[in-house]
Amino acid sequence: MNETVLQGINLTVGYAQRAVLADVSFTIGPGEFVGLVGANGAGKSTLVKTLRGLVPALGGSVQLLGRDIRELAPRTFAQQAAYLAQNTEIPFAYTVRDVVRTGRYPYLAWWQRESAQDMAIVDASLAFVGMAELADRPLRELSGGQRQRAFFARVLAQQAPVLLLDEPATGLDLIYQEELFRFCRESCAAGRTVLMVVHELGLAARFCSRLLLVGQGKLLADGKPQAVLTSARLSAAYGAPIAVEQSPVTGHFDIFVPPQVIREEKPQLRTLLFGRGTMDEEP
Amino acid sequence: MKSLDRRLALPLLVLLVAAATLLSLAWGQMAIPFHYVIASLSQGIGLPFFHGVRVPADEAAVLWQIRLPRTLVGLMVGAGLGISGAVLQGIFANPLADPGIIGISSGASVGAIFAIAAGITGFSLYALPFCALLGALLAVGCTVLLAMRHGRVPVLTLLLAGVVVGMFLAAVTAAVLTVLDASKVQAYFFWTIGSLDYRRWEHVFLAVPPMAVGIGIMLLLARQLNVLAMGEMEARAVGMAVQRYRLLFLLLASLTTATGVCVSGNIGFVGLVVPHMLRLLLGPDHRLLLPASLLAGAAFLVLCDALGRIVLPGMEIRVGIMTAFIGAPYFLYLLRREARRLD
Repeated sequence: MNETVLQGINLTVGYAQRAVLADVSFTIGPGEFVGLVGANGAGKSTLVKTLRGLVPALGGSVQLLGRDIRELAPRTFAQQAAYLAQNTEIPFAYTVRDVVRTGRYPYLAWWQRESAQDMAIVDASLAFVGMAELADRPLRELSGGQRQRAFFARVLAQQAPVLLLDEPATGLDLIYQEELFRFCRESCAAGRTVLMVVHELGLAARFCSRLLLVGQGKLLADGKPQAVLTSARLSAAYGAPIAVEQSPVTGHFDIFVPPQVIREEKPQLRTLLFGRGTMDEEP
Repeated sequence: MKSLDRRLALPLLVLLVAAATLLSLAWGQMAIPFHYVIASLSQGIGLPFFHGVRVPADEAAVLWQIRLPRTLVGLMVGAGLGISGAVLQGIFANPLADPGIIGISSGASVGAIFAIAAGITGFSLYALPFCALLGALLAVGCTVLLAMRHGRVPVLTLLLAGVVVGMFLAAVTAAVLTVLDASKVQAYFFWTIGSLDYRRWEHVFLAVPPMAVGIGIMLLLARQLNVLAMGEMEARAVGMAVQRYRLLFLLLASLTTATGVCVSGNIGFVGLVVPHMLRLLLGPDHRLLLPASLLAGAAFLVLCDALGRIVLPGMEIRVGIMTAFIGAPYFLYLLRREARRLD
C-alpha cells in the first residue's frame, strides 16, 4: 500500500534561475485536503505549476504516486493529476463545452474521438458546476466566476485522483465558493487528494485538513490549520503584524489585519489616496 | 438555428465547390456551354449520363487539356491554402496568422529565383516547382530553428523569426534580381503573381501526393488542434505534448502551402480570409472549421480564377490579383467590424 500521493523533495522553484521558494519538502497522503497559503508573490502558483510539471524545478524533485514526475508520459500525468490555472484566457469563441471536453484528452489515443461515455462525463461535470445551460455559450462572453466554474468542470471531467487547484475560488459567489470547498472535502473523504491555493484563511481553516504556509522564500509551516494559523507565523509570512483569534464556540478563526503603516506614518500620502486627491488639502 | 447552420455548412460548401468548378470549366476565351461540360465529363469518366450529347472536338480538347487541369490545380491549391491557414491560426492562437507568416512564401520565391537564374527551368517542367518547394521548406526549417530554445518553440519568437527570415530572403531575392537579364526578371515576375494559367496535368500529379498527405493528416488531427488552440498551459495541463504537436502541424501546413505555392506561385488572402470568415460563421471548433476551410478555399480560388477570365474581355486577370482585389476589402471590413465589437 502506497501511502504517499504527492511528495516534494528539497524542491527549489522559480523562473529562469531565480528561485522563489527554496528547499521545500513535504509529503501528502491520500485523502488529504491541503491548503497552500501565503502572501501575494510568495511563490504559491509557481510551486503548484512545478508540482504539475508545467514549470521545471530548479532543484530537488517531485514524486507523484511513487514516481518522479519527469519520468511520466504527459497523458499518464494528466490522468493522475488535474490542474486548474489562475486567469486562463481562451482564444477564439470556444464554448464552455469545448473547454470541458479537453478534460477527456488524456484518455483518448490520437485516432479516437470522444465516445458517448466521454460526453456523458462532460455533461455530468457541466451539470455539477451549474453550467449545463451555458454549455454552448462562448467562454469569453461569460463572467469571471462562470469561467472559473467552467474550468473546474474541465478538472472534474479529467477524473484524476489528485487535484492541484490554483485559487479556484477566485470570482466565485458565496454559494459556489462553499460548494467548491465542500466538494473538495467530500472527494478527499472518498480518497482523492487536493492541493489548493487559498487566500481566504478562514475558509482554509474550516475545510482543509492541513495547511502549507509559504513566505520569505521557504516553507514556513506545515500542519493542521490551528497549528499553522498563529499570529507569529502569519505575521512572518505576510510581513505585517496579524492577530488571530479562534472562537471557542464555533472553532472558526478570526483574523485581524491592522491598518496599513502608510495610514499612520505618511499623512500627506494618506490625503492623496483617501481624500479628494490633492496634496495641498488643509485639514 | 445555429446548430442547423452547422449541420448544413459542409453540404452547402460541397455544392459551392461543384458550382465553382462548373463555372471554371465553362468560362473563358472559348465559352463552353454547361451541358457540353457535363456531358464531356460524364462520358470521360464513364458515368451513364448525357451519352446522347456529342461534344465537338475543339470544346472537348480545351476542356480536358486546358480547363480541367487548371481547375483541378486551383481546387487543390485553394483547399490547401484554406486548411493551412486555419491550422496556422489555430496553433498561433492568432486570427491574423497566414501561410506567408513563417517564411513559406519568401522561401519559395528564393527557390524560384535561383531556378530561373541558373536557367534550369528549361530542363523540366518540375524544376521550378521543385526548387520553390525546397526553398519554402528550408525557410520554415530556418525559422523554427531560429526560434527554438531548449527544445521549445515559443509562439511569439516563432512569429518574429518568421518575419526576420522573410525579410532576409526577400533581400536575397532582390539581390539576385538586380543581376538578372530582363527576360529572366519577367519570368520571375510572372511566377510571383500567383496564377493558374498554363497549368497542365503534370502540375496536378506533382501537387497531389504531398497535398493529400498534408491535408489528410491535418483533418485527422482536428481534435488535437482544438486542444492546442486553447493555449499552451491548458493544453499541457490536459496532457498534450504541445511542442511535438505544434511542430507537426507547422510541418504539415508548410508542406501543403509550399506545394501550393510551387505549382501556382504566391496567392495571397485565401489562407487568411477564408478560415477567418468561417470561424466567425461556424465557430472555432476545428472538426468543422478544417473541412469547411478546405472546401471554401477551393471554391473561392477557382471562382476568382474563373472571374479573372471573363471580367475584362480579351484579357485575363491573374488569380493572385483577383484574390487580393476581393480578399483585401473584405478583410478590412472584418477588421473594422472586430474593432467595433471590442469597443
